[in-house]
Amino acid sequence: MAVLRPFDKLPGLNSAALLLVGSDEELQQKLAEAILQEKRDFKISIHIATSLPLPSERDHLRPRIDLIVFMIDIKSKCSLKNVEASLAHVDATFFLGKVCFLVTGVGRVNCCSIETNAVCKLGEAYCSPVLFCELELEGVRVATAQRLLRMLQICAGLVPGFSALSFSLLMRNSADD
Amino acid sequence: MADESWKLEQELEQGRAQAWPQGGHDMGVLKLLRLRDQMKQQLMEYSAAVRGGETTFLDQVVEEKHIQGVTEDLETNKEEIEVSFWNKTLALQRIQLMAALRNKVNQGDKDSCLILETVNRIVLLSRTIIKYQQLAHEKKQKLIDIKRKRLSLKKDQRRKLQQIQTMKKKQKKEKGNKNLDEAKMLQNLEKERLMTTVIQNVFQNIIIGSGVNWAEDPSLKAIVLQLEKNVHLP
Repeated sequence: MAVLRPFDKLPGLNSAALLLVGSDEELQQKLAEAILQEKRDFKISIHIATSLPLPSERDHLRPRIDLIVFMIDIKSKCSLKNVEASLAHVDATFFLGKVCFLVTGVGRVNCCSIETNAVCKLGEAYCSPVLFCELELEGVRVATAQRLLRMLQICAGLVPGFSALSFSLLMRNSADD
Repeated sequence: MADESWKLEQELEQGRAQAWPQGGHDMGVLKLLRLRDQMKQQLMEYSAAVRGGETTFLDQVVEEKHIQGVTEDLETNKEEIEVSFWNKTLALQRIQLMAALRNKVNQGDKDSCLILETVNRIVLLSRTIIKYQQLAHEKKQKLIDIKRKRLSLKKDQRRKLQQIQTMKKKQKKEKGNKNLDEAKMLQNLEKERLMTTVIQNVFQNIIIGSGVNWAEDPSLKAIVLQLEKNVHLP
């Protein structure tokens, strides 16, 4: 299937699946390792892709994707274009809290080629939270991994009484303040 | 999607059945309860998605209006609740702050002395501020009174000037009238004089024409001499 849908497949028991979409594979690997090193009590599977749509041959083997993280490198404009092109292959119901934009490379202020304004507008247009981080730094990477893990837990429905939609609303309201 | 949720339960049952013989999983009662909560949450999400995907066969316009009305109500509710929440948070923070201050002051060490000093100074400064503000207020009141008096004086001045103007106008009119009257009177006077002159001349001529010797009779003489004095003045 060309379009990713959130409720197409059945969820696994006490498990969650994360999809990282971005152009820098090394950074994605680092982030994935940081997430896997966090302490958790549910099974997690991280899928890495450079762009959507995902190849349809292995579609039946893939689990239900709970959270998609689009990684945008602030130093390269083509990562933003890549992400925007991939957004077309995601179903609209995914944007009810199961999508997140992660902007990396924020530590270097002098080589920004994308404006933060543009990224924030993208996040507003797609009703998804935008996180800023610098994955080269150890501490920030660990913190980002923890945040993403918590978000994944909520989006997979593993936190009773709190759904992905309510979480996204909470993020949006606190961002407006 | 309803049958998919049924499939979900079946699969999870199978999953549980598979997990038990494996022995690596620690399937205590707590974990089972936790899994049950998770499944409830996931089921709720799926049913919400199902409900969201349903199409209604009602009148589209009515449905839209209804939805709009409901959305507006919900938005106003949400705003009210947010406002009250913020107010309550502020009140709570204020209470916490006061409680912390009170505790600190009750401790009685040098920090609390500083706090007390500062508070006393604040009170003193506020008192002086209030005093000065009162003085300023009084001065402003006086200024306002003076301005008011000035305004009323100006009004009186205006009124008086207007009165003077109207009186002047009246006087001019009266003068004009008087002049007219005088001219009329002079004209009348002239007429009368001419008439009297004519009558005098007529008398003279009657007396002379009657051939009477008027020089002998003193009364006739007096009349003729008197008549000589012509009233007709140059």
